[in-house]
Amino acid sequence: MTTNPVAVSVENVTQRFRIIHERPDSLRELFAKFSRRKITHHDFEAVSDVSLEVRRGEMIGIVGRNGSGKSTLLKIIAGVYTPSSGRVTVNGTLAPLIELGAGMHTEMTGRENILLNGLLMGYSKHEMRQREQQIVDFADIGEFIDVPVKQYSSGMYMRLAFAVATEIDPEILVVDEILAVGDFAFQQKCFNRLRRFRESGKTILMVTHTMGPVIEYCNRAILIEKGRVVADGPPVEVVERYTGSSAVANEPVLVEAPTAHA
Amino acid sequence: MRELLRDTYGYRELIWALALKELKIRYKRSVLGFLWALLNPLLFMVVLTFVFSTLMATNVPHYGVFIICALLPWTFFSQSLSYAAESIVGNADLIKKVRVAKLVFPVAAVVSNMINFLLSLIPLALIVLVMGHPFHLTWLYLPVPLLALTIFTLGATFFFAAANVYYRDVAHILQILLQVLFYVTPIIYRADMMPEKYRLLLKLNPMNYLINGFRLGVYDGMLPTWQSVFASFFCAFAMLYFGFSLFRKHQNEFVFYV
Repeated sequence: MTTNPVAVSVENVTQRFRIIHERPDSLRELFAKFSRRKITHHDFEAVSDVSLEVRRGEMIGIVGRNGSGKSTLLKIIAGVYTPSSGRVTVNGTLAPLIELGAGMHTEMTGRENILLNGLLMGYSKHEMRQREQQIVDFADIGEFIDVPVKQYSSGMYMRLAFAVATEIDPEILVVDEILAVGDFAFQQKCFNRLRRFRESGKTILMVTHTMGPVIEYCNRAILIEKGRVVADGPPVEVVERYTGSSAVANEPVLVEAPTAHA
Repeated sequence: MRELLRDTYGYRELIWALALKELKIRYKRSVLGFLWALLNPLLFMVVLTFVFSTLMATNVPHYGVFIICALLPWTFFSQSLSYAAESIVGNADLIKKVRVAKLVFPVAAVVSNMINFLLSLIPLALIVLVMGHPFHLTWLYLPVPLLALTIFTLGATFFFAAANVYYRDVAHILQILLQVLFYVTPIIYRADMMPEKYRLLLKLNPMNYLINGFRLGVYDGMLPTWQSVFASFFCAFAMLYFGFSLFRKHQNEFVFYV
């Protein structure tokens, strides 16, 4: 494991998207553009000049309203997007998986998907064979593991996805909305796993709209508004500020702590 | 070019898994499964052989063998391109959510079609046997034209995979280009059947050099001239350089357009 105390460092990162009102996505439109039709566009900054430092062992909840740039920031950190400007440095292995189940192919069985997912995340076949049994055990979906994923219930699908994402044991886990997973018992299992993950010195960055877990499990929260970090600190304060501002905006926010603790 | 080698090697297991997935999905839920990879070309060859040796007799002996040994590498080329053109767009879900070298998708498309091509050599050998065409020692030379063709195909797939991200018309234009290329390349006819005044067209067509080696090896039992081998590898590497440079330059933007 890398010893650098900083797991992720984001320096002045800006992500600009070009919003094209009439994007010429066929040649016909391209010709039209050359002839006379004007195609207008404007640049939209999804993330504006964000800098932050994530220390090893932190569990950070990123909160904010829809369209505030949370997921974009996560994608930049995970390396899915190359930012328009600024720099991201990641020290350690990072599971470049933004959404649970990304990379699952529904025609293939659970077992085949475990391998494919692992390979996609940069693990070798050999490493995945070693972890396969643990993943199967954690997902706990019985004989469905050898059935094509398209026949899974959405809960089973998520269980398998979560099992793969966490069992491959990255040093940094970056996840978008991980908490909408499975039934109650499995959610508890997930939280326990995340906690253990953190206790073993790993770093977790998660985007969520459920405030309870942010307060309970995270040691730090970041509030993003219009692509900028507007609050960064203890979860309770950040969540309060977020729910306060949202209340003004008349947006209902789910604030509930998990009702039972394992 | 170093990047291409490094990433292809680094992601070899993923590329292989994606290629197998591709094949698996192609033959999913069919009773015969993978056997189709063998049966398809075999049945096609039987039809061709029948049509051209009975219904439309030509003066080319063993016309079935003649045509098939050029048609198989052509199919490898055209299928790879058709698959690869959609490979980035078709994997949009993955590209938007997982950080992965983009080149794995077109490369996997070529690999899966390569597997198909290699399997189809079995029915080819069967046809050669059944028709009583001699097995030339020059079969052993086939890996050389196959290497050149693969390099060329890879280059072309990189180009079309990238271009199709920006303009979806590319996939359609590709189909037309392939049709034209199919007829201007001596596949269903011999190069010397072409009228003298169009010979220049032949000289300028890279597919001619690339396919030629297969027919010489399987049908004629001859080795190509060194000029022809040189021309095929020259075209192959030029295409790879062109295609991959373009792909590499734009690969980080794909995610915003798929």
